Amino acid sequence: MTWSSRLTVRVLLALLAFVVLARLPAGLDIGFQFDAALAVVWGFGILSLVLLTGYVGQVSLCQATFAGVGAYAAGMMVSTYHVSYLIAVAVAVFAAFALGVVVGLPALRLSGITLAIVTLGIALVFDRYVFQDAAFAWFTGGSGGWRVDGARMFGLQMDSSKHLLAAYVVLVGLFCLVALLMVNLHDSGAGRRFRAIRDSELAASTMGVNLTRYKLLAFGMSAAIAGLGGSFYPLVAGSVSPQPFWLFTSLQLAAIAVLMGVRYVPAAALGGVFMAFVPDVLTRFGHGNIGRYSYDISFDWFQIAVGVLLIIQLILMPDGVWGDLRGRIAHAAAHAKSAARAVAKGRVRVA
Amino acid sequence: MLRVRDVTVRFGGIVALDGVSLDLNRGEILGLIGPNGAGKTTLFNCISGVIRPDQGSMFFEGRSLKFAPPHERARRGIARTFQNLQLWGSMTVQENLTVPMDALGGRNTFSDALHLPFSTYAERASSERARAILHVLELDDYARTLAGDLPAGIQRRVEIARALAGRPQLLLLDEPAAGLDARETGHLAELLHTVRERFHVSMLLVDHDMSLVLPVSDYVYVLDFGKVLAKGRPSAIQNDPKVIAAYLGDESSRESNKSHDVVAMPRRRDEAPLLEVTQLAAGYGHLEVIRDVNLTVRPGEVVACIGANGAGKTTTLRAISGMIRPRSGTVTFDGRDITGKTAEHISRQGLIHIPEGRGLFPNLSVEDTLRLVSNSIGKEPDLATAYRLFPKLKERRHQAVGTLSGGEQHMVALARAVLARPQLVMVDEMSQGLAPTVVRQLFDIIRMMRDEGIAVLIVEQFVDSALEVADRAYVFEHGTIGHSGSAAELRADRKLISGSYLGSAVDMVAASNGNGHHADPALMEVVSVKLPAKLKRALEERAEREGRPTGAVVMELLEGVKP
Repeated sequence: MTWSSRLTVRVLLALLAFVVLARLPAGLDIGFQFDAALAVVWGFGILSLVLLTGYVGQVSLCQATFAGVGAYAAGMMVSTYHVSYLIAVAVAVFAAFALGVVVGLPALRLSGITLAIVTLGIALVFDRYVFQDAAFAWFTGGSGGWRVDGARMFGLQMDSSKHLLAAYVVLVGLFCLVALLMVNLHDSGAGRRFRAIRDSELAASTMGVNLTRYKLLAFGMSAAIAGLGGSFYPLVAGSVSPQPFWLFTSLQLAAIAVLMGVRYVPAAALGGVFMAFVPDVLTRFGHGNIGRYSYDISFDWFQIAVGVLLIIQLILMPDGVWGDLRGRIAHAAAHAKSAARAVAKGRVRVA
Repeated sequence: MLRVRDVTVRFGGIVALDGVSLDLNRGEILGLIGPNGAGKTTLFNCISGVIRPDQGSMFFEGRSLKFAPPHERARRGIARTFQNLQLWGSMTVQENLTVPMDALGGRNTFSDALHLPFSTYAERASSERARAILHVLELDDYARTLAGDLPAGIQRRVEIARALAGRPQLLLLDEPAAGLDARETGHLAELLHTVRERFHVSMLLVDHDMSLVLPVSDYVYVLDFGKVLAKGRPSAIQNDPKVIAAYLGDESSRESNKSHDVVAMPRRRDEAPLLEVTQLAAGYGHLEVIRDVNLTVRPGEVVACIGANGAGKTTTLRAISGMIRPRSGTVTFDGRDITGKTAEHISRQGLIHIPEGRGLFPNLSVEDTLRLVSNSIGKEPDLATAYRLFPKLKERRHQAVGTLSGGEQHMVALARAVLARPQLVMVDEMSQGLAPTVVRQLFDIIRMMRDEGIAVLIVEQFVDSALEVADRAYVFEHGTIGHSGSAAELRADRKLISGSYLGSAVDMVAASNGNGHHADPALMEVVSVKLPAKLKRALEERAEREGRPTGAVVMELLEGVKP
């Protein structure tokens, strides 16, 4: 397939995904509509890990922190400076990008488990001392957080209570766009340089890849993607609080990214849906009676489920849910193709 | 083109390179040879910028390389391959080639993600060039294969292709022939000449296999213990007594130790073997390193395994001691079948393996290290025995092992092995990185162990010292045992040993120099002679007509013109 035709297919696929996904939650109740919007926010978080871990091979356990910085920056811009939400998003993305580059600095020297610990430390510091500290009230809006009401974007009214779906459509549109860019990036020159760093840093540097530049760029871009998702959080939830962006969310993002297949862009969508819907479904339908037995599955079971699924996945589908699925589909397609060719050549007759 | 001046590199207390200077001219293939641990790869890492030298300077095309990071050096035209393959395994061969290509052009991440026309155009250009390079290196069929899925031999060629992709002026090749057999090595030699003609690159070639380096290179440097031991044209190098000594052990020490000769104990021939290995095969991943290895060790006997690097000695020891699983064949120890048993189980049977790098714990003291033996023998070891055999260790018993010198560390490893009261100790590359005097001391310890009734199987680079100690020896060649015999026999037959060490290069170069009546015509298949293409073609045609190697035809013609 030539480049242009492959690109066309991708653009069409992204458009199709957008059209389908944008209409999906229309019939749901407000609670599930909120989950759908939240799924895209976390989808961005996992997408940022697909870039950073899947493409470049760098570990990060502070992606929720980037999303949090995006959320707070957007909240601050709207509440304090009363700018349009679009500008607030741009500022938020830039803030996250800058923080990502700073966090990337240790990655120039560290890798693997030590880098994981350092990023975990960063997540902890932001969780405890930035998002929850009075000294940063100008940024976080104090203990109450920012309240965002009546925000407008593209001339449309969008806020959490009445116009949630409008915000959702914009989010899904952005997600499909970023996902498309990520897929393009994978096969392009820069994507190959990223993957070269993942497979062998030593070889990459001696073959002319500037490690400093590309590692920092990867961290910045990854943080920007997470921050883009986070910047919509105030719009979706109506307010920002530290709780969604605490340390544990970062760990969960990493776990679910691996679970779904950290190398694949569509896995981010799967992971986002999983992370937003499953806990809500559990709390809503997790109690009742089966015959004489009553059961009560609380939200906490979600964490246990993620852990157990992760273990099962690492044994049965080491490339993640999506990676494994994709492999099987490709395998089946190759079989079908060769069978079809055999039929066409008349070597096998269809009875 | 490349000037290296007085480069010194230290790792902790060890001097890896000691004031090395080197010159490479444009269009030259420069060979760099030397025994294990001589500092060849360290020098490579200095030139490509992976490590910084402590002292000295390097100039490329008249400009200093001092502050240039690795990617900047690649940009200036230095490309390299890696001894331990560093291909990007999850990318296709074609993608592997395009990375260095467009890392050099000013490509932009955002235009790449958006697929702007500029990026698409560059994409097409680089895939064209990749195809051209793959064609020259006979890799066309693999363009779309994932690099990690290829066999090691082909991965080595892909490494060369990838290095060429960045339009280098200087190509650094680190052991390109490792793991190749004699025929493949010969083919590689031809390929390197083709590459030089087609891509106008100079090369710096490091390899253990003299049968590659000597015929290919224009000029050769020999490194030993971090210093330049000799330099000169290949024909001069291969006759240089200093070089032969470095590769084959110290000639002079052999003379002085004549009294030790002939300690072989024939009565042991009748005893049942302690260790019996039959038809052993093993390897790593796609690479089968050893096959059909048969060897025996009788109780209380010292047996040496010698042979060129990559011939499979270390792998054999690993397969015996259970560090890797044998693919086929059997290993019997003391009457019991131990094939495929775990390393821990085998060591409890009384077979101790001291691996390359000794397997010590740097932070434990000497005494604690020796006490750990109680784990495997089930009771407190008798440290007094160890200190009697190794008085030096008694002085240092409270020192952390990591702070000892290399020779002393090896003593600790040997002492630990002796305390476990084994029946057989296998020692891998004991002399690696040690000074000859220290090596002699260690060999004395091996003698002591034999006197205690412990059988020893050693793998050695210093052939002469090893043969002095050993009762019998096996000579490894390309993954299997080429010759075997009593140590005295092998010592007498020096040509046999130098054949497997220096490869067949000695004979081959002699032949191409014109005084070739000693050479075996069959070996001449791999000689690359510079001739006008027409003449070469005529020679090849004649050889094919007569159904014999081209070399044989050349030989015949040479005989004719002799005065």
